Amino acid sequence: MPANIFPILAAQASPEVIDRIPSSFSHFVIPFVAGITFFLVWIFVGFIRVITQLSHEERVKFWTSLLNPITAGKNIRDLFCDCLFHTKIWQRKPLLGYMHSAIAFGWFMLIVLGHIEVALFVPKHLSYGEGGLFYPIFYRYFVWIRPGHESLRGAFFFFLMDFFLLYVLTGIGLAMFKRFRSIVLGMRHTTKPSLADRVALYSLWMIFPLRLLAESFTADLSGGSFLTMGMNHLLHFLFGDKLYFQPFWWAYSICLGTFFAAMPFSRYMHILTEVLWILFRNAGLKPSHPRKGVAEAEIYACSSCGLCLDACPMNVQKKNLKYSSVYFIRFLRRHNERKIAEIADKCLMCDKCHALCPVSVDAPALRRAQRQTTNDHLPYDYSYLATVPVKLYEPATPRHLERDAGSNSSKVLYFAGCMSHLTPRIIKAVEDIFKKAGIEYVFADREGGICCGRPLLLAGKKEAAAKTMDANKSMIKASGCKTLVLSCPICYKVFKEEYNLVGIRVVHYTQYFKELIEAGKLNVVKSQERIVYHDPCELGRGCNVYEEPRTVLRQVGNLVKAGHEYDESICCGGSLGSLTLSQNDRRKITDAAIKDLTVASPETIVTACPLCLKTFSERSTVPVKDFAEVLTKCVA
Amino acid sequence: MRNNVLIIGGGPAGLEAGANLQRLGYNVLLVEHSNTLGGHLGKWDRLFPGGTPASAALDKLLGSMDGVKCFTDTEIQSINRLGKSYNVILSNGITVLADAVLVATGFDLFQAEKKEEYGYGIYDHVITNADLELYFKTGLDTRINAPRKIGFVHCVGSRDEKSGCRSCSKVCCATAVKQACEMKAAFPDAQIYCFYMDLRMFGRHYEDMYLEAQRDYGIRFIRGRVAEVSENIDGSLSVKAEDTVSSKPLKVSLDLLVLMAGMRPSVSGQRIGSLLGMQNEKDGYFEVLSEITAQQRSSIPGIFLAGAATGPKTIPDTLADARGAATQIDKYLSDIFPKAKDLKQLIKTAW
Repeated sequence: MPANIFPILAAQASPEVIDRIPSSFSHFVIPFVAGITFFLVWIFVGFIRVITQLSHEERVKFWTSLLNPITAGKNIRDLFCDCLFHTKIWQRKPLLGYMHSAIAFGWFMLIVLGHIEVALFVPKHLSYGEGGLFYPIFYRYFVWIRPGHESLRGAFFFFLMDFFLLYVLTGIGLAMFKRFRSIVLGMRHTTKPSLADRVALYSLWMIFPLRLLAESFTADLSGGSFLTMGMNHLLHFLFGDKLYFQPFWWAYSICLGTFFAAMPFSRYMHILTEVLWILFRNAGLKPSHPRKGVAEAEIYACSSCGLCLDACPMNVQKKNLKYSSVYFIRFLRRHNERKIAEIADKCLMCDKCHALCPVSVDAPALRRAQRQTTNDHLPYDYSYLATVPVKLYEPATPRHLERDAGSNSSKVLYFAGCMSHLTPRIIKAVEDIFKKAGIEYVFADREGGICCGRPLLLAGKKEAAAKTMDANKSMIKASGCKTLVLSCPICYKVFKEEYNLVGIRVVHYTQYFKELIEAGKLNVVKSQERIVYHDPCELGRGCNVYEEPRTVLRQVGNLVKAGHEYDESICCGGSLGSLTLSQNDRRKITDAAIKDLTVASPETIVTACPLCLKTFSERSTVPVKDFAEVLTKCVA
Repeated sequence: MRNNVLIIGGGPAGLEAGANLQRLGYNVLLVEHSNTLGGHLGKWDRLFPGGTPASAALDKLLGSMDGVKCFTDTEIQSINRLGKSYNVILSNGITVLADAVLVATGFDLFQAEKKEEYGYGIYDHVITNADLELYFKTGLDTRINAPRKIGFVHCVGSRDEKSGCRSCSKVCCATAVKQACEMKAAFPDAQIYCFYMDLRMFGRHYEDMYLEAQRDYGIRFIRGRVAEVSENIDGSLSVKAEDTVSSKPLKVSLDLLVLMAGMRPSVSGQRIGSLLGMQNEKDGYFEVLSEITAQQRSSIPGIFLAGAATGPKTIPDTLADARGAATQIDKYLSDIFPKAKDLKQLIKTAW
């Protein structure tokens, strides 16, 4: 018997499942087939379009990333975690995470299990000639379970199908509830759906209840478990022996067809596009144009879930909701150029929407790309670049005299940057700590320097940034120092990511001072002062430096918690990223951030960014101090 | 029966209004939260444009206060409407039924340390206009040590959206020119620079003062904001600015930098405002009923305003405003509290 050798083949011969409809076709499948065909053609064309829009290097990078085993592993993990389980949402808002994963993972499992059932019981119907496109979807309509022949394996699948259907239905129930009371699921604001969104949304809501009804009506013929069978008994009890099930299968098919037809024009396009975006993301591709190639995949990967609405610091005022990333992306999709430009310039570039996005859609990068289209080609006067100091300032130290000139390799190069020059107490404190730790340093821009280039990059002025970065780069190389210490996270990010300083270690002063303490060069005396630490956007979300400042501050005083910390930290409102946000709106953000920082009534707010320091100092009633300032006070 | 008038704030506006209302026959009560009368005027040395000693002006104001009851070191605890009047409880335990209230809470000087790039409170030789006046009065300030190069920075905390104030503080330009001349007189060898955005020499004789400063005192006026200040090892200051007339960046080394701190709505005044439920305008100063025809009236009946509580003003402007407020209060009280009894009394005694 072949059954003994190939159990799967034995299943084929199983008398349990019989084709109820010999032609394996019914007219009700037409709406679904039409919808899904349109959708598949659309997505195929879209995929080809995106791939052809990529530059040659990007394409090579993309294909090779797929072959790289490490990236491939990451891809598989991210596809499961981000697309199906929505782990990022689970971590922050469990109920919302449950809702999303119930719909995504539950539906995925229904499709997979449907195909497995077909493969096990009626495998010939997997081929497209035998209705492979729709048969697994409407499996319960087409088969008949011979009474009394139901196998354990069959029952197991019936149970699984009912279980996942119930799982999806609970998710849909929560989704409906969320429309009216989103705050219960942890969302203060939700996105305003567009027309296509509504069509897709309502059909999505209808799909699963209709599936339940349709499968319940046929459960006594084609099998079912606790849910559908139970419903079936109820229906028989209510309507008698004969159940007329055709309308429900029609309705179910129509809803599915409508959903797939509306999908390309609605937010639900994210379901498949996010797969491509995750592959792009993991391949290290970044949008270079606000609309084409990588950007296109990114834009369609946005699920318009609206988590960025509550994340955006501008939305402390309801009138600014319209500037959120979700609407920016929506207008990019619609090619609404006027609104695109307005929203692109408004953003503070704090990167919180990117950090909290379930699929890490990098909206700030899209905004930067958009700004580049208008700002990169403006004429600039580069004559100031000549003011980069040639002779750097070196404080005289006893050892300095012994050392032969030109040997700076053991010294530290300190670059304060424009913002630290506007907050001289930082420079004073940093120099103080250098002296206390006995560090020999060279002060790069004491006698004046030029911009690090980051604000220019944020404004989309790529070429101007490149010129300033070149000038700074040659200055740094000429200094001969092997360590570059920065007190401004804005400078730190750009020096670390864009300068490509081979052989030179780039560190933020929070990291450097932590090392000095660990090396025993600084003797810290703990005080009982209650301090709260504000994560600057460019340092935390920008460079992933969260722990170093905290480690030091715990040794300095009594570190208390803020309302929002780490990657949820709120922008101080002073960001250089926004080109058009009014001072009044900025002040509202500053006040909100201060309120959030002082929930545990600290005596001092500590930050590690000159811009945050300056912005908070102007508005806060609680004293605001810099990291170095607090540290040097506690160093003997 | 004489009507009670309560004046909140014992600066020039409160004093001038108090004296006038007393002369008009009202029972005036003045409440000042600090321990001295005179407000900012008491801390100033000389006044522009003519160099009148501030103490002389203050003495003249205080000298005409006969009969006005003044409470210093006193706060308003609560203030509630009671019929046509206001029931006011003071921190010294006294309760007053005031028929009219004049809010003359003045201004606060902008805290120059908030403009950190100028280094006030961080560098040794950065002072404010108020510090300099105190130096002129007392001759004591360790930060002023025979400076040979002095800079004045105009518009510190004024006309500066980032520091939270869009409007002009009105008096700093003339003060800077006055103080620059005085410094030149005190240190004849010093070279003095004024860094300005616009010079607003709007008042009578102001322009003459500005011309004199250039012609007779040799003060150099540079149009451009100071960008940043750093301190050299010897304690001197390195100031970076832009000369917008020649479109060139500029760097000078100075021995003393004077910041012309602007005016801000007073914090204690804001408290009074919230006790009364008074509206502020966007700039933080109190809203007036009409900025053309009813400058001294608030939107609340019986509550009047005078002086810098409704925006930056010079001393003469403040005094004129206070006199205006006194006549407004007089008109209000005679309309709302007609003196029928007094008239009978008057006829009785006249006959």
